[in-house]
Amino acid sequence: MSLVSTPRPRAAPMTDVILSVHHLTKRFEGLVANREIDFEIPRHAIVSMIGPNGAGKTTFFNQLTGIIEPTSGTIEFDSASLIGMAPHQVAELGIARTYQNIRLFANMTVLANVMVGRHVRMKAQWYEAVLGLPHVAREETAVEKRSFEFLDLVGLPRRYADDLAKNLPYGHQRRLELARALASDPKLLLLDEPTAGMNPGETRQMTDLIARLRRELELTILLIEHDMKVVMGVSERITVLDYGERIAEGTPEEIRANPRVIEAYLGKQATA
Amino acid sequence: MAELISGRQLRRLATIGAVAAVVVLYLCTVGLVEAFKDRNVVTGVITLGAVMLLAVPLIAGYRAALPSRDPSAQTGAAQRVVLGLLVGLIAGAVLGVFVLIASTVDLRGVLVRISPPLLEFISFGLPSGLALLVITGLGGLMGALGAALLVSPARIRNAVTSALIAVLFMSMIEPLLRPRLEQLDYTAISDFLYKAHGLTEVASILCFVVGAGAALLWQPGNDFVRRTVEAAPFQTRRRIRGWAIALLVVAVLILPQVSGTFLAQVAVLVGLYLLLALGLNIVVGYAGLLDLGYVAFFAVGAYLTALLTSPDSSLGIGLPFFVALPIVMLGAGMTGLLIGAPVLRLRGDYLAIVTLGFGEIARVLFESDALRPWLGGVQGILGIPSPLPVRIDLELGATHIFATGPQVLYYPIFAFCALAALFAYRLSNSRIGRAWNAMREDESVAEATGVSTVNYKLLAFALGATTGCLSGALFAVQLGSVFPGSFDVFVSITVLAVIILGGMGSIPGVILGAIVLIGLPELLREFVEYRILVYGAVLVAMMLLRPEGLIPNRGRQRELHQAESEEEVETLDGDLVPQRSPS
Amino acid sequence: MRFRLPQRINLVSTILWGLRIVVTVLVLAGSWATLSSGKLAPGDWRDLIVFGIAQGSVYALIALGYTLVYGVLFMINFAHGDVFMTGAMTAFFVARNFGESGFLNSNPIVALLIIFAVSMLTSMLVAIVLERIAYRPLRRAPRLVPLITAIGASLFISNSIRGIYGEQSQSYPTVNALQGRLDLFGIPILKTQALVIVSAIVLMIALVYFVERTRTGRAMRAVSEDKDVAALMGINVDRIIVTTFAIGGLLAGAAGILYALVFNEVDWFMGFLPGIKAFTAAVLGGIGNIAGAMLGGLTLGVLESVGPFLLLGGANVPSPNQLRDVIAFTVLVLVLIFRPNGILGRSEPGR
Repeated sequence: MSLVSTPRPRAAPMTDVILSVHHLTKRFEGLVANREIDFEIPRHAIVSMIGPNGAGKTTFFNQLTGIIEPTSGTIEFDSASLIGMAPHQVAELGIARTYQNIRLFANMTVLANVMVGRHVRMKAQWYEAVLGLPHVAREETAVEKRSFEFLDLVGLPRRYADDLAKNLPYGHQRRLELARALASDPKLLLLDEPTAGMNPGETRQMTDLIARLRRELELTILLIEHDMKVVMGVSERITVLDYGERIAEGTPEEIRANPRVIEAYLGKQATA
Repeated sequence: MAELISGRQLRRLATIGAVAAVVVLYLCTVGLVEAFKDRNVVTGVITLGAVMLLAVPLIAGYRAALPSRDPSAQTGAAQRVVLGLLVGLIAGAVLGVFVLIASTVDLRGVLVRISPPLLEFISFGLPSGLALLVITGLGGLMGALGAALLVSPARIRNAVTSALIAVLFMSMIEPLLRPRLEQLDYTAISDFLYKAHGLTEVASILCFVVGAGAALLWQPGNDFVRRTVEAAPFQTRRRIRGWAIALLVVAVLILPQVSGTFLAQVAVLVGLYLLLALGLNIVVGYAGLLDLGYVAFFAVGAYLTALLTSPDSSLGIGLPFFVALPIVMLGAGMTGLLIGAPVLRLRGDYLAIVTLGFGEIARVLFESDALRPWLGGVQGILGIPSPLPVRIDLELGATHIFATGPQVLYYPIFAFCALAALFAYRLSNSRIGRAWNAMREDESVAEATGVSTVNYKLLAFALGATTGCLSGALFAVQLGSVFPGSFDVFVSITVLAVIILGGMGSIPGVILGAIVLIGLPELLREFVEYRILVYGAVLVAMMLLRPEGLIPNRGRQRELHQAESEEEVETLDGDLVPQRSPS
Repeated sequence: MRFRLPQRINLVSTILWGLRIVVTVLVLAGSWATLSSGKLAPGDWRDLIVFGIAQGSVYALIALGYTLVYGVLFMINFAHGDVFMTGAMTAFFVARNFGESGFLNSNPIVALLIIFAVSMLTSMLVAIVLERIAYRPLRRAPRLVPLITAIGASLFISNSIRGIYGEQSQSYPTVNALQGRLDLFGIPILKTQALVIVSAIVLMIALVYFVERTRTGRAMRAVSEDKDVAALMGINVDRIIVTTFAIGGLLAGAAGILYALVFNEVDWFMGFLPGIKAFTAAVLGGIGNIAGAMLGGLTLGVLESVGPFLLLGGANVPSPNQLRDVIAFTVLVLVLIFRPNGILGRSEPGR
C-alpha cells in the first residue's frame, strides 16, 4: 500500500548517474564496516539504503560526506572524485545531509541555522564584511529572505524564526534540519532516518515532503530508513546492506521478494 | 526563641557563620586588611580595611536571613534579624579568639601578615580580652544589620545600599578627583570633599544623602524616561540613540583634556588592554578557541616594532613607525597562522595548554642569552622613537588645548580600539560570525554544512594575532623600549579575565571588563599586589555565577545556562508547544 | 564522528611537516655535535640521568593526580600544581621547627614521616575543597567553563599562599642523615635522590594496589569507564570523585616534600612549572592511564635533565640550562599536536 499520496513517477532511465561508488571499503582497526560496496544513484532518483542495525549504512554516509576517509575504493559525484575531500568541499560540490539523531546548532536561532546552511553559496569575504561594503549587507538581506523561503518549503511556520533551535518541538526540529540541508542548493540530499521517532501522521507528512522536494527542486535523494512502509512507498530503488556488504539491489518489489534480504532481517529477529 | 530555630536552620546558620569566619580570617591572613587599613574612606571614622571586615558579617547576615527552603521554619522579621545576629556573632567571635591567640603567640613566623599594627587595628587598640567582646559584638551588630536590610521594604534597602555605594565610590575616586580639582584651581571644593585621602565627615554625609535620594528617585525617574522613550515614534528613538552615542564619543574624546594626566595614563593602559581584549575576544569569544598564550602576539608586535624602528636594535634600520606598522601586522598575521595551524585539531583544554606552552616558549626565548645578540636578552631593546609629538600646545581662538605624553597617545590608541571594535562587530554579524558560532556549537556538523573549520580557525587566530601585535606595537612606542619581563603569562591571564568578566563575544562587555579590571587597580593602588588574586577569584566567581559575563552577548546567556529553557506542554495533536514556566 | 583534514598539500600540512623537520634536525644535529665534541664525561651523563630520574619521580607523582582526575571527570585540573605547592609550603613550617629544635636530626625518620603527613594532608584538604567549591557545581557545564574555573582557582590559591605565607622563598632545613652519597650497583647517587626515587616507587605501588585490589579502587575504575552506569550500579559517584581528588592531593603533597628534598627551595609560585610539566608527563604517558603517568614522568624528567646539555652543549650555546623549560614545553606542544594519546594512550571516548 503506497504511503505517498501523489502517484509515484516511473524510475528514471539509468543513463545519467549522479553518484557512483566502486569497491568502497572502510576498515576500523579490525572491524570492516563497509566491504567492497558498489553503488550508483541515477540523477533525480529517490533511492533507499536499508539493512539491520550496524550494517554500515551511516559509515557509508560518512564516507560520502568526507567525514571519514575510505580505506579503499572510489566515489564519484558528478564526475568528480570525492576521495580525500574535506566535508566542506563536499558540501560545496552539492551534497547535503541530515542526521540520525538531530544535530542542529542548538543555541542558534532557527533562521540562523538555515542561513548557516546557505554558507557555501554566499560570497562575502571577511575583509569585505570588515569594511562594511554594501554588497555584503545586500547579500545578507537576500539570504535572509531566501532562508525564510526554505522555512516555508519544509513547512516550518515563519513565526519560529527567532526561536532557539533547541526549543523547537521534535517534528519541527527535523524540518529545520531539512531546511538547513536544502539551503545549500544541493544536488544530492542524504537523509539519515528522517522519520525516526515520528508517529504515522508525521511520517506521512515527511514522506510527502520528500517526494515534493524531489519534484520541485530536482533533487536526487538517498535515504537511510528503517520504516519499511516509507522505504517501499517512496523509493525507486533500494540497496540492502548487511554486515558491511551489499547483499541486494533493485526495485522495491524485487527487494521484498529477495530471499537473502528476508534472511538478513528475519535471521536477526530469530537470534535477537 | 530556641524552638523557632529548627535543626536544619541551625545547621544552615552554622555553615554560613563558619564560611563568614573563614572569609574574615582569610582577609586578615592574606594581607588584604593590612593593605587597606590605612586607606581612609571617611577620614577619622573608617578605613577601607575596616569596611572589608565589616562587610563580611553584613553579607552573611543578609544571607542567613534569606527565606530558607524549609517550610517548617516560620520566620518573621524579628526572627530573621536574630538569625543575622547569630551568624554575625559567630564570625565576630572567631575573629576575636584569633586576635586573642595572635596577641599571645607570635604568629608571624608562619602567617606573615599578622603584625602588631594589624592586631591593634582590628582590636581597636583594646586589650585582647575586651577586644574579643567588642569584635564579637560588632560582628553580631553587622549581621543583624544585614538581616535588617533584607527584611526592610525594597525602597529602604535600595536607598541604603545606594547610599553606601555612593560614599564608597566617592572615596575611591579620590586619587583621580582631588589632584584634578587642585590642578584646575578648585581647591575649595577639593578641601571640602577630601582630607588625608579620604572623604571628610561632612562630605560623606552629603554623599550618603545624595545616594539615598538618587535611589529613591531612580525608579520613578527611570520609569518616566522609559515611558517617554517608548511612547516616542521610531524615528525619534533612533535619533535619541544617535545623540546618546554621539555624546559618548565626545565624552571619550575630551576625557584626557578634562581629567588630567593621571587619568589619561590610566586610560592609555586601559586602551592597550582593551585592544588586546578585542583581539582575544575574536579567538575566544567568537571562535571558541581558548588561547592562553595570547601574550606571545603582544610580544611579537612589540619586539618587531622595536627591531624595525629603534636605531639601537640589532637590525638598526630605524624605520619610521608608520612604515614599520604594516610589516608588523604582516608578521602578526603570519605568527597567527604559525601558532594556529598546529593546534587546529586540538580539543578545548589541550588547545589551552598548548597555546600556554607557546606563550611560555616565546617568553623564555625572548629572555634567553642564546638569542641575546638579536633580541637583547633580559635587557631588551631600547630607544624606540615615538611617531607622536611629545606635547601639544595649541591656541584655537579662545580655547587653549594642551596635552602632554599620555594625553597625546590616548587618541591613537582609542582610534585603533574604535576601529577594532567596529571591525569585530561587523564580523560577528556577518556570515563569518555565523560560521564561528556554528563551529562552536558543533564542529563536525558545521564542517559538513560547508564551513571550512580549518580556514575559519586560522582566520580567527590571524585576526586575533594582528590585533594583539598592534597593541604590542603601541605599547613599545609608549614605553620607548621593550623588556621580556613585560610579556609573561599574567598578561594573557589578565586579558582573559577581562573577557570573562565582561562577557565572551560581547564588545560592550569587553569594554566594561577592561575598565573595571585595569582601571580599578589604578584607583586602589593598594590592590596592585593582589591583582592576580582578584583576577583568579573573578574567574572562578564568574564561572560559578554568571559565565556569560556582565554584559552578555545575546546568544551566550542561553548557551551557558543549561537549565533555563522554557517548559514544553504537549497539546492534543501530539505537538509540543513551548510555554513559559511561571517563574 | 571524526574530523578529517584534506590529504592534499596545503598550508596546515606544510607547517606541521615543517615543524617535524625542524625539530628532528635540531635534535639530531645538536646531539651529534655534543656527543662528538666530548664535552661531557660519561660520569656527567650518569649524574644527569640519575638527577633526571629523581626529578621525574616527583613529576610522576604529580602527574598521577592529573591522570586520576582526568580519568573520572575528563577535565584537566589546572590547579593541581598549586595543590602540590600548598602542601610543601605548609609543611615547611613544621620542618623548620623540627630543624631548629634538633628533632629533625635526632629522629629523622619520625620527623620526616610527620612532615610528609602534614604536607599530604594539607594538599588533600585543598584538593577536596577545590573540588567541592569550584568543580562540582560545574559538572554539567560546557567544557570551557571548568577549565577557566581551574585556571582561576590556580591563580587564587597560589596568590593566597603568597599573601598568607609571604613572598619569600623558603629553604627546607637539611637533614644530616640524608647528606652524602650512596653507592648503588656502582652508581653514585645522592641519598636525597635515592629517598625520592624509593618513596615515589612505594607510593606508586600503593596506588596501583589501591586501584586494582580495593573496592573503592574498583569503583574509581568503574566511574572512569562510565559515570552513569556506575551510578546505576549503586556507586556513589560524588564520593568516588572526592576520593579521587583526595588521593591526587595525597600524592601531590608527598611530591611536594620530595621536591623540597631535591631542590630545597619552596615558594608560592613553585606550583606553576612543575604543574605544567607534570601535566605534560601525564599526557606523554597517556592521559587517564596510571602506568602512563609514571612512565611519562620519568621520561620527561630525564629528557629535561639531559636534554639541554645533549642538544645544545655542543653548539656553544650560552647557559643551556635556561632552556630547560623550553624543552619541557616543546615536548608538551609536540606531544599534544602529534600524539595526543601519548605513549600508552587510552583511546578517548567519542565527543
